Amino acid sequence: MGNKLKLMLGGLLLSTAIMASPTLAEDVTITVWSLDDENQPAYNYAKEFSEMDNGIQIEYREIQFDDVVSESMRAFATGKSPDIIAVDNPEHALFAGRGAFLDITDKIAASSVIHADNYFAGPLNSVSWEGKLFGVPKATNTIALYYNKDLYKKAGIDAAPETWAELVDTARKLNDPANNVYGLAFSAKASEEGTFQFLPWAQMAGGGYDNINVEGAVKALDIWKTILDEKLASPDTLTRGQWDSTGTFNAGNAAMVISGPWELNRMLEEAKFDWGVALLPVPEVGSARSSAMGDFNWAIFSNSKHPDEAFKALEYFASQDDRLFPEFGQLPARSDIALPPTGIALKDAALKVFQEQLKYAQARGPHPEWPKISKAIQDAIQTALTGGATSKEALDQAAAKIETILK
Amino acid sequence: MRALFSSLRDGKGFDISLIAIAMVFLILFSGAPLVYNAIMSFQEVDIFNLGTFIRPWVGLDNYRSLFADPSTLPIFWNTVVFVFSSIAGQFIVGFGLALFFTLKFPGAAYLRGLFLVSWVMPGLVVGAIWNWILSGDFGILNHFLKSVGFISENIFWRSDINYSLWAVIIANIWLGTAFNMILLSVGLAAIPRDVYEAAELDGATAIQRFRTITLPMMRATIGAVVSLGLIFTLQQFDLFAAITSGGPANSSNVAQYKAWEMSFREYDFARGATISVLMIVVVMIASVIYVRSTKQEVRG
Repeated sequence: MGNKLKLMLGGLLLSTAIMASPTLAEDVTITVWSLDDENQPAYNYAKEFSEMDNGIQIEYREIQFDDVVSESMRAFATGKSPDIIAVDNPEHALFAGRGAFLDITDKIAASSVIHADNYFAGPLNSVSWEGKLFGVPKATNTIALYYNKDLYKKAGIDAAPETWAELVDTARKLNDPANNVYGLAFSAKASEEGTFQFLPWAQMAGGGYDNINVEGAVKALDIWKTILDEKLASPDTLTRGQWDSTGTFNAGNAAMVISGPWELNRMLEEAKFDWGVALLPVPEVGSARSSAMGDFNWAIFSNSKHPDEAFKALEYFASQDDRLFPEFGQLPARSDIALPPTGIALKDAALKVFQEQLKYAQARGPHPEWPKISKAIQDAIQTALTGGATSKEALDQAAAKIETILK
Repeated sequence: MRALFSSLRDGKGFDISLIAIAMVFLILFSGAPLVYNAIMSFQEVDIFNLGTFIRPWVGLDNYRSLFADPSTLPIFWNTVVFVFSSIAGQFIVGFGLALFFTLKFPGAAYLRGLFLVSWVMPGLVVGAIWNWILSGDFGILNHFLKSVGFISENIFWRSDINYSLWAVIIANIWLGTAFNMILLSVGLAAIPRDVYEAAELDGATAIQRFRTITLPMMRATIGAVVSLGLIFTLQQFDLFAAITSGGPANSSNVAQYKAWEMSFREYDFARGATISVLMIVVVMIASVIYVRSTKQEVRG
């Protein structure tokens, strides 16, 4: 057994040696974990960086979305974590707050490539914890209101709704059960997606995850309930994610949908009608805007043996941000990068709105216990919408739960 | 030394070593994880101390906070409803089909084999298919019920709190029926035909024959089917993940799905383990009943 193991190890070493033969002896190897495949940025950046003559090689591992947190936590706990990881932004603080990520505030301050000021406030906030920077935003996204212009024309509506009341009103006008058309589609699913969709509403009305039961948030949830009670949106909104909800919009079975820029390519392909994108409606005319913020962040693990080399890799990744949109269809989290026009009128118009909306995008949290906070909010949404409690009672309960978590 | 070897080859030592192999296997792969799970339920476990064994000991706190949570009791009640309805449905339909296929009509054996297709399919695939069937706006089930006039308004199987649990139960009955049918068919085939012939000659009606011959002779098989059914339904996870995700508002959430949510959605592994421990207790009680009920069985 012992001999066999040695043989196997020997073979393994040999094969690595053969595979790594172009590498010079003094080369440093760092590992990067990300969910990007060969058509997405991280995979390509890592490859390009390795091919550069800088003495640093990247070992890239593609990791499934659902496994990012559990895999990397386990790796960190056993001391086998990668040097760099791409993590979903609401989970960033889960690591940063527990000291698993490296504080790179000083490195960023000294960097000639990464400038904190260039990033949108929301994404930058998501990599921060207690005033320090623990990562760099990888890309970003947000949600806004897509609407079917053909159906608008048919109903004699000429502009997208700007306030919540107008949104409900417009949905009522567009709602057409006889033709299987709902006024609106969105997601109130009991998952992070539900939180992602609801929080902007609460934030526009002066609430937030740390005061989720303010009057405005209660009103927001009441409006969601009205939309569902009057069947202005499919009852399946409660169990359907954003991707499937948007599918019903593309099929012409919903006149409006609240979703993000990740839908653009699919919509261009599937939607056989004229559509547009508008900013999320606000509580009253002139209210503060807000939106959700999604996508991943880069971070370096605190137990990395090569933090300087890892940061160099991050600098390279960040320096390629201007390729994010033209090559990979993702939005850079930076205000200093102008997105070139694609030549597709619908897409270019939509992008303008999403870029405007991004200015108001707020990070979820950041807080190390975010999954629990999010769960409390999801429970409140679902309880209120299914009639288990009033919006006020449900959000009061959530607020009480969140308060014990925040303490 | 020779005595030891000969005993190992043929004697007490041989028996003991056979048992020992099974025991080591059981202890290593069943006992140890169970104990580990039980210990976790008395500790505070999050994702950062998951890799270590020494964690803060919190005694019964996990159990207390679990029962203080107002969603816990409804979830356990859902589990009971899910398990009983699923087993009852699978058993009744499965038994009916098994009896049906004892009739010797052309192609009976092939048709019976075809029913196994549902058992072969992975739960997530079954879930995805039922997801479409049960879909509120465009689901084929609603379309069917509407066209035969049972309902006039669409039922939102997945999103209506009155139906969501039943949506999963329906899918689970479909999934488990074939397995029930096959096991029960085997049991039926083992009953000697002459017993029926004798009873028929004595003038017993079909119902009497079923009650006094089929059911008693099937006791062991029925016990096994129901116990396995209990284990499979308590394991059923994929359908929940695929159809309702336990929602809306926990109306279709059950203990096994909740345990997963606790561990891998909220990263509270201790409370996930706490729910598992409670489920293990239930399964153990069920298996004791099963083992005892089959102990006195007399094979015909």
